[in-house]
Amino acid sequence: MTDAATLGRPAAAGPVPHQPIQALMIAIGQEIFAIETAMVREIIDPVPLTRVAGAKAHLPGLINVRGNIIPLADLHERFGMPAGQTTPDTRIVVIEVEIDEDPVTLGIIADKVHEVSEVSRANAQQTPRIGMNWRPEYISFITKWNDEFIIVPNLSAILV
Amino acid sequence: MANILTVDDSPSVRQMIKLVLGPAGHQVSEAADGSEGLGKARGQRYDLVITDLNMPVMNGLEMIRGMRALPSFTGVPIVFLTTESDDAVKQEAKAAGATGWITKPFKPEQLLAVVAKLVR
Amino acid sequence: MMDLDPTEIFRQEAAELLETLETVLLDLGQRPGDGDLVDAAFRALHTIKGSGAMFGFDRVAAFTHDFETAFDLIRKGRIVADHEIVTVSLSAKDYIRTLIEDPDSTDAIIGEAIVAELHRLVSGLGSGGAGAEAHEPEAAAPPAEASPEEAGWAIGIAFNPDILRNGTNPLGLLDELRDLGPCEVVADLGAVPELAALDPEHCFIRWTVRLHAPCPREAVEDVFMFVSDEMTLTIAPLGEAAPDAAEAPMPAAQAAAISAPPARKTPAAKTPVPAKPAAGEAPAAERPAPDKAEHNRRSDDKGSTVRVQAERLDELMDRVGELVIAQARLSQLAHVSNDLAIKAIAEEVERLASGLRDTTMGVRMVPMGTLFARFRRLVHDLSRDLSKPVEFVTVGEDTEMDKTMIERLADPLVHLIRNAIDHGIENAEARAAAGKPATGRIELSARYVGAQVLVSVQDDGGGLDTARIRAKAEENGLIQPGAALSEHEIHQFLFHPGFSTARTISALSGRGVGMDVVKRTIEAMRGSIDLTTVPGLGSSVTLRLPLTLAIIDGLLIRVGEGRYIIPLSAVEECLELTPADENRSRGRSFLSVRGELVPFLRLRDQFDAAGQPDPHQKVIIISTGEMRVGLVADQIIGSHQTVIKSLSKLHADVTMFSGATILGDGSAALILDVAQLVGLGQGRAETDKTMEAA
Repeated sequence: MTDAATLGRPAAAGPVPHQPIQALMIAIGQEIFAIETAMVREIIDPVPLTRVAGAKAHLPGLINVRGNIIPLADLHERFGMPAGQTTPDTRIVVIEVEIDEDPVTLGIIADKVHEVSEVSRANAQQTPRIGMNWRPEYISFITKWNDEFIIVPNLSAILV
Repeated sequence: MANILTVDDSPSVRQMIKLVLGPAGHQVSEAADGSEGLGKARGQRYDLVITDLNMPVMNGLEMIRGMRALPSFTGVPIVFLTTESDDAVKQEAKAAGATGWITKPFKPEQLLAVVAKLVR
Repeated sequence: MMDLDPTEIFRQEAAELLETLETVLLDLGQRPGDGDLVDAAFRALHTIKGSGAMFGFDRVAAFTHDFETAFDLIRKGRIVADHEIVTVSLSAKDYIRTLIEDPDSTDAIIGEAIVAELHRLVSGLGSGGAGAEAHEPEAAAPPAEASPEEAGWAIGIAFNPDILRNGTNPLGLLDELRDLGPCEVVADLGAVPELAALDPEHCFIRWTVRLHAPCPREAVEDVFMFVSDEMTLTIAPLGEAAPDAAEAPMPAAQAAAISAPPARKTPAAKTPVPAKPAAGEAPAAERPAPDKAEHNRRSDDKGSTVRVQAERLDELMDRVGELVIAQARLSQLAHVSNDLAIKAIAEEVERLASGLRDTTMGVRMVPMGTLFARFRRLVHDLSRDLSKPVEFVTVGEDTEMDKTMIERLADPLVHLIRNAIDHGIENAEARAAAGKPATGRIELSARYVGAQVLVSVQDDGGGLDTARIRAKAEENGLIQPGAALSEHEIHQFLFHPGFSTARTISALSGRGVGMDVVKRTIEAMRGSIDLTTVPGLGSSVTLRLPLTLAIIDGLLIRVGEGRYIIPLSAVEECLELTPADENRSRGRSFLSVRGELVPFLRLRDQFDAAGQPDPHQKVIIISTGEMRVGLVADQIIGSHQTVIKSLSKLHADVTMFSGATILGDGSAALILDVAQLVGLGQGRAETDKTMEAA
């Protein structure tokens, strides 16, 4: 796969280049994922979901964000985790990613939003454990943050 | 510093004239055809009119005649644009009341020279 | 802001002129003797040439000049524009366009060949074509005389008395002479009449000027270039006997009486020359009666228009859309409020928003004629390339459609028309054998049916060969040999990807648009496409499209916890599903509506609704032309008009819904895709039928 060539907007949901980049750490289930800040548009409190019958399990419905209707992605399903419960920590991270050369805006449910930190492929770790249901193409690489293993996801593979 | 009216159905020509004469300190108004030009002439006095001859709705010759019929237009120089050195056209235009002509294509200096010549 | 780059303005202007030129030429092909058309063509060429030269498009100007010359001959009536001339002219027009858009890709040889062909056609029929070649150089200046010893000129100036009529300013001319060098100016008032007979708008003053400047004779002549034939001008080198201007014969032009001049001595130069308008009647005999010039408008239906950039319109539409949504929320709040003032205002705002929305939609509506006009050229060229004479008829050019949709229709329609001419219309022998007129007929029509627009392409060709289509489908493994299929169903295979038997047409290289792409494009616009044919007589492709993609009139329903919108245009009627109906259907998916069996779908099942169904289920009968289906829902809330938001790319696989919209309370409602649901319902019914038969 070629390196992401787009800079500025919207970030290609592909492999992270070797220079360190800023990423938002979010918790989904027991895992922590790093989402490039370049693709983050906003972080909002949970809003009502309009279910879309017939949609794939990880894209259960739509939400209204200031007049824009965007899909809501629930990545628990993608990683074989049990469905999350809504807690006071739950947030929706609105991101804009490039899928097949088109910019797509969507929201991702986060069980908790941590902080922004740097990640770099230079620190990629050998993955000590991978969940049984995890497909390798969903993951760009794994690295460490605050002594924890975190996942840098390959969003374009996960979402489509 | 003159009040000039340019009449031409070609927006690029009008624009060009405006771009040349404006910075030279002249006030340039536009009209897209003879009828519009005549209308403007009725409402306001100009120091010079630069007009094309081939225009829809009302062509240049008719407009010139119309302008000359206006009392306020006595003595106002009217210049027409022509692409040929066709004498017949020039005679016709002058008979209609035109003062002078400019041959297209013209360089900005030529336009300025003619304006300077007629607006004194 | 309009781009102030003059070159860009020229390009836009030239593009419009070339479009007009093409239409005029095509019309001319049908009405060769029409003088107005020739004039229009000539005017367009003339303007392109002039503007082109002005902005550095020299090749364009040069080529257009030759083109224009030929048309001038036609204009002067010496030859009549025939079909060949029109065809060559169309090529010339294309060449001009390339010269403007991509000059490096053109070969001068092509231009020369076109011009040569044009000349051949024109001069072969006309009187040599030399007459219009009015390329005389500017009036040749007389041979420059050597500057005289005493550098300067003695100039005698005697204007025609009515010189002022032309706006000429004699004093200005004298000033111009002064620009050349120091002058001594002597005015001669000998010809000026008595005050009583003096007409201020005539100039009887003559001048003698001694110009001390080593300038060439031409410089002096140039000063008088505009008036040279309305005056007597004598120029002699200083040092020779200066001609006396007063003795120069009075140019005979004016019949005004000139009485014996009073001997008045006035200072030279600043003689008051009437520059201020003389109140009162116009004296000049030649002054034309105020023309009916003002009333002489050509019936050019030129209502005043404004050019707007397309993005601005889209922006406007978005804003209005958001306003409509916000207004809906306001209305909802007002509805539950007790404040009368707020209710009143909310109503007013609703009225205004609705009006604004209608007006904005109107702005975006464009008559289909703009699209149809483009195809004339296509048909003309195709007909020529395939040697099939074709008559192209358009109906309903005034039918309006949202401008974005019109653009999206262009490619599909091109494909359909190409198909009609290439595959539909038979060649000459076949037509003759079938007793058909030699000229084929393609009709492109647009009309309203309810809240939809029907656009159809009809040909009088041989019709679809059902057997051949079936054979090909079987060959491709799409049908089981022996399977029972209706003719209509067999025809649908034409929409399968890769199915078309298209031979590439050289004149217009294919853009990879097959019938499957046409179908997808139309369906993406929430439209439908249908084929009908009569063997031997012809075929017709009909597109059904909504008037606009932006806003929808819908029926709002509730199924379980979710709310959904059904496009009102598809709704036929609403019924209640009585317990008796439920019993009668006995688990099958059929309803009896006034004696007719209508398949139905329980939306609760389709959408996996949670909870218990409402006791009195409602049925909404929807249809897509011929097929009907009943949709069973918990509740019908009411009609609802709102802006459509398209679904994200991530939900492209969800076929039951064609979009979403925001309701007054901020929540989202999905819009049902009628065609899909009808298909599902029909499929369900078929299964039931076969199960029953088993």
